[in-house]
Amino acid sequence: MVEVELYGLPRLYAGAERCAVAAGSLAEVLGALAQALPGLVPAIVDARGHLSEHARVAIDGRRLLDDPAEAIADGAVLVVISAQAGG
Amino acid sequence: MGVFRRLLHVHLAGDRLRCEHVPIDDAITRALIGGVGLGAHLLWRYAPRGVDPLAPAAPLIFALAPLLGTPLTTTAKLAVICKSPLTGRISDGLSSSRFALAAKRLGVDAIVLTGALDHLSIVHLDEDPTRARVEPCPALAGASPAEVGEALAGRRVAAIGPAGERLVRFATLTNDGRHAGRGGAGALLGAKRVKAITVHGDATPPLADPAAVRERAKELARRSLGAATDKYRRLGTVANLETFDRLRILPARNFQRVSIGRAKARRLSPEGLRAEAGHVREGCAGCTIGCDHRFGGTRLEYESLFALGPLCGIDEPAQVLAAAAACDRLGVDTISAGGTLAFAMECAERGLVPWPIAFGDDLVPWLEKIAAREGIGDLLAEGSRRVAARVGQGSERFACQVKGLELPGYEPRTMQTMALGLAVAARGADHNRSGAYQADLQPGVDRFAAALATTPARVIETEDHAALLDALILCKFLRGAIADPWVEGAELLAMTAGIALSPDELREAAARIVALRHLYNRREGWTIAEDTLPARFFDEPLEDGAALSRELLAAMVAAYHEARGLGVERLPARERLDALFAPLDLGPWAEGLE
Ligand code: SF4
Repeated sequence: MVEVELYGLPRLYAGAERCAVAAGSLAEVLGALAQALPGLVPAIVDARGHLSEHARVAIDGRRLLDDPAEAIADGAVLVVISAQAGG
Repeated sequence: MGVFRRLLHVHLAGDRLRCEHVPIDDAITRALIGGVGLGAHLLWRYAPRGVDPLAPAAPLIFALAPLLGTPLTTTAKLAVICKSPLTGRISDGLSSSRFALAAKRLGVDAIVLTGALDHLSIVHLDEDPTRARVEPCPALAGASPAEVGEALAGRRVAAIGPAGERLVRFATLTNDGRHAGRGGAGALLGAKRVKAITVHGDATPPLADPAAVRERAKELARRSLGAATDKYRRLGTVANLETFDRLRILPARNFQRVSIGRAKARRLSPEGLRAEAGHVREGCAGCTIGCDHRFGGTRLEYESLFALGPLCGIDEPAQVLAAAAACDRLGVDTISAGGTLAFAMECAERGLVPWPIAFGDDLVPWLEKIAAREGIGDLLAEGSRRVAARVGQGSERFACQVKGLELPGYEPRTMQTMALGLAVAARGADHNRSGAYQADLQPGVDRFAAALATTPARVIETEDHAALLDALILCKFLRGAIADPWVEGAELLAMTAGIALSPDELREAAARIVALRHLYNRREGWTIAEDTLPARFFDEPLEDGAALSRELLAAMVAAYHEARGLGVERLPARERLDALFAPLDLGPWAEGLE
């Protein structure tokens, strides 16, 4: 399984702080996330598992991902955040 | 037009003032737009070379902008420009307010204050310069900006708090509870013995195409309520803290750590703060977004939260809110106050000073000592760079400032585009004149490893984007709702000020603004040695090994200045200056620099 942590707006829209979904490509993982937490659609992800321009996803809190085909292995932790970082 | 093509020069002396209108050539507006661009030009022109920032001759400039006074959302802002008493370099702060709107109705594009009064006074400015006057205000000595606002109810006011009166080098200038915060503009007003300025007038800037402005205002208001601004509306920038904690970007304990742990970060999240103190949302004048989140009545942004919280070892919401309220009341910049206190805490922790201060302490008594320049507060009021110079013993390596301005809340070792942005920023360590953090949080950018080939260009792009918004002036929180800022910026300039620039010409203008800031600094003695970060960030890797390469940063700084067209020597070649500033007739550049 892949553990997904949600922060900021994604957490607010989802109404949840975390969610475990099956491993697969990034699009499959985010698609499963959208099914589990429909509040994320469409502001954060669309139903096909594509990330919106208003969100970012980092693997293990480090590298930001954008290739829907990238494989996300079992045990990985994804962090979903708002794209706007300014303060 | 959205511009009046003249400025108001206010000469202060004794207990009197004299006002004079001075024309502004269209070439200036075409070359530098307005806001921070116009302000940089006026600083170059009105500040004597080498002037002490707190001397009467040093100008304090309010630069207005072409979009100010229109129905376009988020445009009720002005820029405050001076030679910073904290850095000795250019300082330009932005602030939103009804004061900005009223200042435009004076019928001018800028106000330049020079000279000084003999006694603490209010300066009343009027569209009719013969009605401008000075009103001594001994009863307001020591008053907070809010108290000054109450005393002058019904007027549009910009004021300083007790810190400005006592020349604290990071004192703010406040209007409508918003601050032109960084760099110490409040101390300049204090040095001029001006407690407050009021503005009154009825001038209306004629618009080049009023119907187009009305249409665009409606459309922009609609866009301003879309997904790109939802974070600012629903959570506010305080939401950054918990995210940054997770991404190991959050500076804690004077940049010794990058996380305070999940549970503590959660208490400082919007949800945690609401639960602790209650919440209301407000907004600046003329803004449809309304990102101003108040907890327990105190306005809190991410930068204040990080600086008065984790940076000082504090994770109690009530303590942070009390400190933020004290900064508002006293009129001090939250980032520099938190940064200087965190530095003092680390000095004490290391046994370098005998001061009774420690991480986690209640900040309010210390802020009050700073504002009153009482005891150790008198030294802390000078900012961390000067404190480090006094403490010595190698403490400079962890005085977290650039050019004397304390670092904002982004850890440079884990945000290395931002590291370069902080090092080169003309006003010192700065997150507002550059959005380099945004580049670090783009897919495809390795934020743990900057690259000579790509990082300088990313920093330049974000600086130019910010310069455009700060010159027009549009709030940066609207940027996500603007697909192409160069195209839309050109359209907005044409429909308001009637100035036709292509998107490419607008890009050149933005780059020219940034170059002019650097050129001002060079005139005041800048050398490339000051475009760096404290040694901590090179010599102290984080737990996971993240560190910044001193050599790489130096190479990127040089590449940045070359790409800016200024070169790395203090005195740029005359041909470079002519190429950069060709549209301006700003006088003999070389004479100004040599
Ligand atoms: S978005 Fe926020 S900072 Fe910007 S103008 Fe509106 S209320 Fe002010």
